[in-house]
Amino acid sequence: MDYTLQWGQVVGFTGYLIGGAWLALQIAFLAFVGGVTIATVNATVLSYGRNRALRTAVRSYVAFFMNTPVLVQIFFLFFALPEMGVFLSSYQAVLLGLTLNVSGYLTETLRAGFQSVRRSEIEAAETLGMSVAQMTWHVILPHVIRVLYPPLTNQYILLTMTTSIASIFGLEELTGRAYNVSAETFRSFEVFSLSAVLYVVLTLVASSVLWLIGRHLFRVKARLV
Amino acid sequence: MHHLAIDRLTASYDGKEQVLVDVSLQVAKGEIVSLIGPSGSGKSSLLRSLVGLLVPKSGEVMLDGEKVDYTNRKSVKALRERLAIVFQQYNLFQNMDALRNVTVAPVKIRKRNAREVEEEATALLRKVGLGDKLHAYPDELSGGQQQRVAIARALALKPDILLLDEVTSALDPELVSEVLDAIRILAADGMTMLMVSHEMALVREISTRVVMMDRGRVIEEGTADRIFDNPRTERCQEFVSKILGH
Ligand SMILES: Nc1ncnc2c1ncn2[C@@H]1O[C@H](COP(=O)(O)OP(=O)(O)O)[C@@H](O)[C@H]1O
Ligand SMILES: [Mg+2]
Repeated sequence: MDYTLQWGQVVGFTGYLIGGAWLALQIAFLAFVGGVTIATVNATVLSYGRNRALRTAVRSYVAFFMNTPVLVQIFFLFFALPEMGVFLSSYQAVLLGLTLNVSGYLTETLRAGFQSVRRSEIEAAETLGMSVAQMTWHVILPHVIRVLYPPLTNQYILLTMTTSIASIFGLEELTGRAYNVSAETFRSFEVFSLSAVLYVVLTLVASSVLWLIGRHLFRVKARLV
Repeated sequence: MHHLAIDRLTASYDGKEQVLVDVSLQVAKGEIVSLIGPSGSGKSSLLRSLVGLLVPKSGEVMLDGEKVDYTNRKSVKALRERLAIVFQQYNLFQNMDALRNVTVAPVKIRKRNAREVEEEATALLRKVGLGDKLHAYPDELSGGQQQRVAIARALALKPDILLLDEVTSALDPELVSEVLDAIRILAADGMTMLMVSHEMALVREISTRVVMMDRGRVIEEGTADRIFDNPRTERCQEFVSKILGH
């Protein structure tokens, strides 16, 4: 082992790498918001929907996105769709692919949350005179948020890490930029160590912020670490 | 005129076997009527159908001479302003502290003044011995304490009649008496109650009348002393001797 660490060169690229981290954060955030939105609709259909065909459609959707690799899904969007005349930029393809993929997982999570609302609490709300809307707002949603907060936080963190896939499609997010720096400086060890640290910072900041919000707004009990 | 008059009420879950068969029963203002009977005899179903959780198939329920229409949302809503129910499993809202469990309905549904309701709720919680637990969440309270919050929550709506469904059966034995004491306080206040209970000492002590149910029917009715000491039907005899342990 005669490899000597040389941080000097790499440290100069910190700003450039942080820029990449910022893009990673953006992609993760947008894909997550999109995923939660789709998953909410899906889970509502699965939990409360009466239309059988619609439920089957949602179930197939979930099965498809949970059982194929996200990378393949994005390849499909980026390389296969153009053959059908639909052209997505690499940013669009990655964002859409991650959104669809995470929405499959989130559907299952949300559905479990919906099912955990105690029938007895709903009955109590009903006999106290609450309408369906009041019940949803005062009883069901706060409960669902509280129960789902920890698993949703975990999925968000996981998604942040998955954004590194974007580098394959030439996006200059954290991993993409780390790769560029490594190619330019040949200091792979230092560069990828630094980018790993930045990923840790990204996820730690995200989980701390989410933890604080959860604890104070929704009385979530999960521990931070 | 009776406060609450139930006339030949019939009900079933999903059109299956009838769990209530021609149940007739009256409760006058200030009365405390206790429902007793073996498990599965339809006591809970009766209370649930009174508050519209189980829609009666036929028969009538009259409140102060006014017929309740269980298929009409407005009528049910009006009914629920007058009848409050406390369940065996306290059913508190887990995301709200004790005080908010009590105030949420009066403030959010009745649109009453929040300050005023809060004062009343605090007084109610004090009354049931929870003056120091106003801001505790259900998962920080014992079963007995939760059940007392549930009673306060029901009372906060100022119901004309309070329905209690085996409110002590889910509790550990050492927690039963604190809830029974809360019920005694209500009885002393003159609260009209229709309650299901297996606490025979309490039933004997506070009931103005005892109603025995079996297989969905009312089979006997009378004062507590009469029912316990001198049951007429065989089923009632059997049940009473079993529950009194002799
Ligand atoms: N949710 C339900 N669905 C179907 N049947 C029920 C339900 N709840 C109670 N029953 C049936 O109704 C009958 C009366 O039950 P219940 O009113 O709970 O009796 P009790 O309160 O006297 O023990 C029983 O035969 C019981 O099995
Ligand atoms: Mg019962």
